[in-house]
Amino acid sequence: MDPAPAPYMIRINGHLGATVLSAFPALAPQHHGAHTVLTGLLDQSALYGVLAEIEALGLDLLEIQKLTPDRTSPEPGHHRSP
Amino acid sequence: MAPATPRLIGRDDLLAALDRAAASKVTIISAPAGSGKTSLLRAWADRPGRPRRLAVLQVQRDQHDAHQFWLALLDAVRHASATASRAEPPAATPDFNAPAMVDQVLSELADARGGITLVIDDLHELTSPEALAQLTRLLTNLPPQVHAILTTRHDVRLGLHQLRLAGELAEIRAADLRFSERETRELLDASGIALSAAGAALLHQRTEGWAAGLRLAALSLAGHPDPERFVSEFSGSDRTVAEYLIAEMLERQPPDVQDLLLRTSLLDRVNGELADLLTGRPGSEQILLSLEDANAFVESLDPERTWFRYHHLFADLLRLELRRRLPDQVPTLHRRAAEWFILQGQMVEAIRHTQAAGDWPEAVRLLADHSFSLTLDGQAQTMQALLQAFPPGADHPELALVRAMGDLAQGRLDEAAAHLAVAETYVETAPPGRRHRLQVAVASLKLSLARRRGHLADVLEQVKFLDSPVTGPSDEDIALGSDLRAVALLNLGTAEAWSLGLPDAERHLREGAVLARDIGRPYLEVGCLAQLGFASIFHSAAMPKADSFATTQRCCREAIALAERYGWGAEPVIAPALMTLAGTMVWLGEFDEGERWLRRTERALQTDTGPDIRLLLHQTAGILHAGRGRHHEALEEFGAAEHLASQLEGSQALASQVTGWLLATQARAGRPGEARAALAALEDERASFGEIRNARAVICLADGDPPGALGALHDVLDGTAPVLGYTTVTEAHLLAGLAHRQLGDQRAASQAAERALALAESDRLVLPFAMTGSAGLLEALPRHQSAHAALLADILDVLHGSSPAAEDQSSLLPAEELSPGELRVLRYLPTNLSRREIAAQLSVSVNTIGTHLRSIYAKLHVRDRSSAVQRARELRLLAARRTR
Repeated sequence: MDPAPAPYMIRINGHLGATVLSAFPALAPQHHGAHTVLTGLLDQSALYGVLAEIEALGLDLLEIQKLTPDRTSPEPGHHRSP
Repeated sequence: MAPATPRLIGRDDLLAALDRAAASKVTIISAPAGSGKTSLLRAWADRPGRPRRLAVLQVQRDQHDAHQFWLALLDAVRHASATASRAEPPAATPDFNAPAMVDQVLSELADARGGITLVIDDLHELTSPEALAQLTRLLTNLPPQVHAILTTRHDVRLGLHQLRLAGELAEIRAADLRFSERETRELLDASGIALSAAGAALLHQRTEGWAAGLRLAALSLAGHPDPERFVSEFSGSDRTVAEYLIAEMLERQPPDVQDLLLRTSLLDRVNGELADLLTGRPGSEQILLSLEDANAFVESLDPERTWFRYHHLFADLLRLELRRRLPDQVPTLHRRAAEWFILQGQMVEAIRHTQAAGDWPEAVRLLADHSFSLTLDGQAQTMQALLQAFPPGADHPELALVRAMGDLAQGRLDEAAAHLAVAETYVETAPPGRRHRLQVAVASLKLSLARRRGHLADVLEQVKFLDSPVTGPSDEDIALGSDLRAVALLNLGTAEAWSLGLPDAERHLREGAVLARDIGRPYLEVGCLAQLGFASIFHSAAMPKADSFATTQRCCREAIALAERYGWGAEPVIAPALMTLAGTMVWLGEFDEGERWLRRTERALQTDTGPDIRLLLHQTAGILHAGRGRHHEALEEFGAAEHLASQLEGSQALASQVTGWLLATQARAGRPGEARAALAALEDERASFGEIRNARAVICLADGDPPGALGALHDVLDGTAPVLGYTTVTEAHLLAGLAHRQLGDQRAASQAAERALALAESDRLVLPFAMTGSAGLLEALPRHQSAHAALLADILDVLHGSSPAAEDQSSLLPAEELSPGELRVLRYLPTNLSRREIAAQLSVSVNTIGTHLRSIYAKLHVRDRSSAVQRARELRLLAARRTR
């Protein structure tokens, strides 16, 4: 397992408000349609920490993706600031 | 066998579904936060006419501590099975024997009449892999009539595939828990909310039937001026359901309620007093009560409704909101909570909040000061979790003390020594206010370490601090001092008992037991009494004290009874008493009974690896085999015991006994050459011990050298050789008897045997006769001439393998109790004395003897003298003094 942090994209159903987003200080949020996409550099234990947080807050997890260097931003063109 | 499909639960009637699930062994309710798992269980449990009893365990948040988990589970089961009244609540000990704990829960479950349902709520919070593994064993071995229901947010790692294959596992998952549209309408109706059918459908669609969403929405809708508009705005929002609805709900609360919810969200549980403290306002309890009544994600934890907790999801969101709105307040709130918990003596909570406040030095001090008490309270694993919560920058030498304690508990003695060295170096430079306290703590730990290692001289060095008990300005200092002092007395007395013959052992252990009782530390009390049982068997006198074995047995049984009251009957703490009891049974020739106690000792020692107690375990197993004439098995045990003895310093006397028995058994097993070589290798000082001299005699006898044997025994018999106890002298007389017999001097042989019998009489020892193989010697004794006829008969019974087993006794017809006069007569029956001669011995008339005899026959249900003797032996009535 690669110990170095890697860029991850995490897609959650619904728009996360400021309260819930404060649980993910290391991740940058973007709204994509009715979803929220969180991106950031995470190592494995940080990733599992984020997943535990998602579970604790009862969020609806749709997708997790490890981003390759040539695709650091998911679905370009759909950006909308939260 | 064809795999059965796991039962899936019909969604229209969840309660009925849960009823059906209860027909299988285990039901797992696995669904995300807010799915209504706990509510379902509550609704199911609260129905009238519930046929089974419920044992409910709510797993603590982030439970790392397997020990605490099992204690809580045992407590829940005991409460439910209503066996709680016959024992103390399961009390924590520093020792944790997980398999024994599971066995105990299983046996409590099996004892519960009429079936029991075991509910474990929030199982996902249990993060100890060890506890999950043991839980799997529990769940796959549930007694009939017991059903378990587990709730969890995610599937946990339980190996339940066997149950699944057998169709004994029912599952209820998120989809089953989801509200149907009809149920949504029913919920709204029940909450008195008037919403159009279209509005209800929209709400159902937006929440996707998620229970927490519907409950939150209902809270906001109740009394809302325009419910339709609320639903349509909610439905038009892209925000996540929980966040949207909790924000709505909070906004609808009065400011003081909002403030209370936010400020108390950082507590795992809250009561009115604590909430008043964090909000700075009175009246919190009333707010909490009305929130619970409004079904607003607040629930009380006790029937008196004093403690509350928030729904986890709700609390997590509130905490985030608190950090956003009042970031500066968060450390202060933790600090205030910590202060309150300190006043309540709830140190784990206090330390957690101190850490959360970022007050690391203070957290170090608290943890170091309370590590002794936490260990004694069975919170060793929790303590290690607290230790890990310190960030690298906040490490402190005082934490080395806590680490050493964890190492000691786990038997990592070298690591413990290393950590203690770190702490000790620091003590020199510690501020004067802390120095004495730390010195005492370090000394006490060094004492424990020395005791575990069997370094007895070190023990005596470390106990100087006992002369100056910790006295401080606060009760807390004194309590800490008392804990330390009681632990030290236990360690000291134990070390003294193990170095044998130190007369202070009993005094220190007794003092420790009294102090432990006074300060409410039953674990230490049991520990002291258990060691006292062990200590009392050593009486280095060459002559027996009256009833010393009986006294020892009584002492052990008292310690065991106290341990059992706390549910510690199979814990390491009671092992010394179990072991000593087993040993005395063997000495008294009650081999089967001794073996049973020995087995129980082995169970209690599963987790403890101290070389001292293991030595005794092997030694006792050795004498049991030797007594039964199984030389090879005995050799193995004595060999293992001697190996352990070589690791212990300072218990020379005990080592000599083991070595003596090992050599003697080698000679008896037909390996006298080996024994002689080992004997020659011993230092002169050791070879002069009575136990080794006896072994030399055995070797001489095996070599056909009776004069050599008599020579070896001379100093033991005239009392000049040091001996461990009079048992050694008894053995020496028997060996002398055997030597005289080999020399053809029957008169001298009989005299020696008589002397052995005389020594053995007061305790009714049998083992020396069995180990030395003295059957022939005893049979040659003219019975009617022996002053010890009854004992002689008992011994011969054992030697001929007719020792009545305890099970047989219980199957016999109960005999009416004999009067003291009848017992006196009874004990003459195995002799050849006539009625007239017995009457003369007892200075009574022949008629009186006749009356007694008729009464004896009637009470024992026998017709003649020989069957009376037989029956009396079975009932062990011939023994002069027995403790049973």
